[in-house]
Amino acid sequence: MRLGSKGDQMPEKRGVLLPAYVVADESASMSPHQGELASGLASLCEGLRAEPMAAARIRLAVLGFSDDAQLRQELSDMRSIEVLPQFIIRGITSYGSAFRDLLSRIPRDVDQLKQDNYAVNRPVVFFLSDGQPTDRDWRGPHRQLTDRESNRSAPNIISCGIGSARADTMVEVATRQEFAFVAVAGADIGRAISNFFQALTASLVSSGQAMASGQSTLILEKPNEFHLAIDEV
Amino acid sequence: MPHPAFPPDPADLDRGPRWRRKVIDVPGIEFEPRPPLSAEDFRPDSECDGWSAGRVAVRSASVRGDRHRYYKQPRQDSVCSAFHDSAGAVIFAVADGVSNAEASEIGSTDACRAAAGALANQLESGPGALDFVQVARYVSGTLRRRAQTMLNAGSLPGPADAGKLLATTLVAGAAWPDRDGVSVRLFRVGDSSAWVLNTEQGQYRHLFPSPAGDEEVLVSNEVTALPGVPETLEQQSLLVVPGQVLLVGTDGFGLPLGDGDGAVGALFARHLVSPGSPLWLGHVLDFSRETFDDDRTLLALWPLPPDGTGTV
Repeated sequence: MRLGSKGDQMPEKRGVLLPAYVVADESASMSPHQGELASGLASLCEGLRAEPMAAARIRLAVLGFSDDAQLRQELSDMRSIEVLPQFIIRGITSYGSAFRDLLSRIPRDVDQLKQDNYAVNRPVVFFLSDGQPTDRDWRGPHRQLTDRESNRSAPNIISCGIGSARADTMVEVATRQEFAFVAVAGADIGRAISNFFQALTASLVSSGQAMASGQSTLILEKPNEFHLAIDEV
Repeated sequence: MPHPAFPPDPADLDRGPRWRRKVIDVPGIEFEPRPPLSAEDFRPDSECDGWSAGRVAVRSASVRGDRHRYYKQPRQDSVCSAFHDSAGAVIFAVADGVSNAEASEIGSTDACRAAAGALANQLESGPGALDFVQVARYVSGTLRRRAQTMLNAGSLPGPADAGKLLATTLVAGAAWPDRDGVSVRLFRVGDSSAWVLNTEQGQYRHLFPSPAGDEEVLVSNEVTALPGVPETLEQQSLLVVPGQVLLVGTDGFGLPLGDGDGAVGALFARHLVSPGSPLWLGHVLDFSRETFDDDRTLLALWPLPPDGTGTV
């Protein structure tokens, strides 16, 4: 059964979808790892195509953030994507720019899906950064984004820190402590990025499988060679 | 390839036009269903049933959802119906095992059987003796005792612990012929539900509507389920008259139906005008629509004219 009792009250729905957002750091320090970012996106796409039943429930958007947030792929059915999005390495690490973008983007996307007659599960954001935020005021838009009282489309955020991203920062970014991960000390950053995308794919497939009307609970897979950030805080 | 002695009649092929799976909007992926991983508790992919007694006709079907067929899981929905001869009443129960309970298919089966048994006992004293709170408590106790056995526990587990194994929704009740149609009393725990279909207008009336304005922006993941028994049990009494059909179903049917004004509502309004073959109900219920791949269960109950005509 689907966990959720209001669907039978609504006009006929075309399906139940999970909007998912991959938000990756495009700051200059990621420059040596652009190849892993690209191959990670490719494996994500392949992984979803290999699980068509789960992929049917997922709509995925890709954003890169640096000085600002830029959309690399709008919310899409990955089964029909022909050209993979590319991350573009740029300047600084403005977390706030990413959260401000999501604050306007996610409610708009959810509204659009509902206008298209879909029921919508709580969106999920997979946030990847290799550094500490260079902006001081990121907590304001983050709070607005994640406050379920003021933002009825508030997403779950899964944060993954690599390189110099600190565990306490990842815990602040994630919406639950168990959603915050950091790579183990000394981990190869390129491999950590690959592991992030593997876990992201597995999480989306598992969540897509579980959603059926089975569960709308997010199912999360821990990336290999990452551990819970809270264990370091 | 050897030539068969009796080649199949093309009209009889299960992939022929009549039995081809009905598709609404975008179909789900096509594949051969896979067997459940556990063979310990035999459970068919689909089941259907149908009969008439007195002036009531009953049809039911329960089909495994594509997700369970694809990922080798059993059907978690259950349904049962029975006729109580001395009370002249139909007893029915529909249950939907909660996915994240470990053995919810056992929970839903036990809940249906326990509910039917409790209702039958109460009907010995006539329909006026129906007490749904007692029925719900009896079902809860049955599930907890089953959990105790499965866990090999020394004491009876609480509803929360038993629910981790056997949580299930339930809609159950009884129906008996009345002067103008069929009187029905039913209750529910969880999000399985019931509707009245007006076959002349093709309109559905939800018997357990949510409060007005309670529609959520996002799909909720909260559900009430047995063996927990809510403080206030949702109950309904109604008269189903000719031209109407009582429908009792799990959310695998209810979610794609919505308020019944779309293609799914039209499909069932077209096929439920009169009680047809139970196998056909199962076929219709097994329609394909992308992302709607939960188990589906539907029990339909028609009032029949006094002369018993009206079935196909």
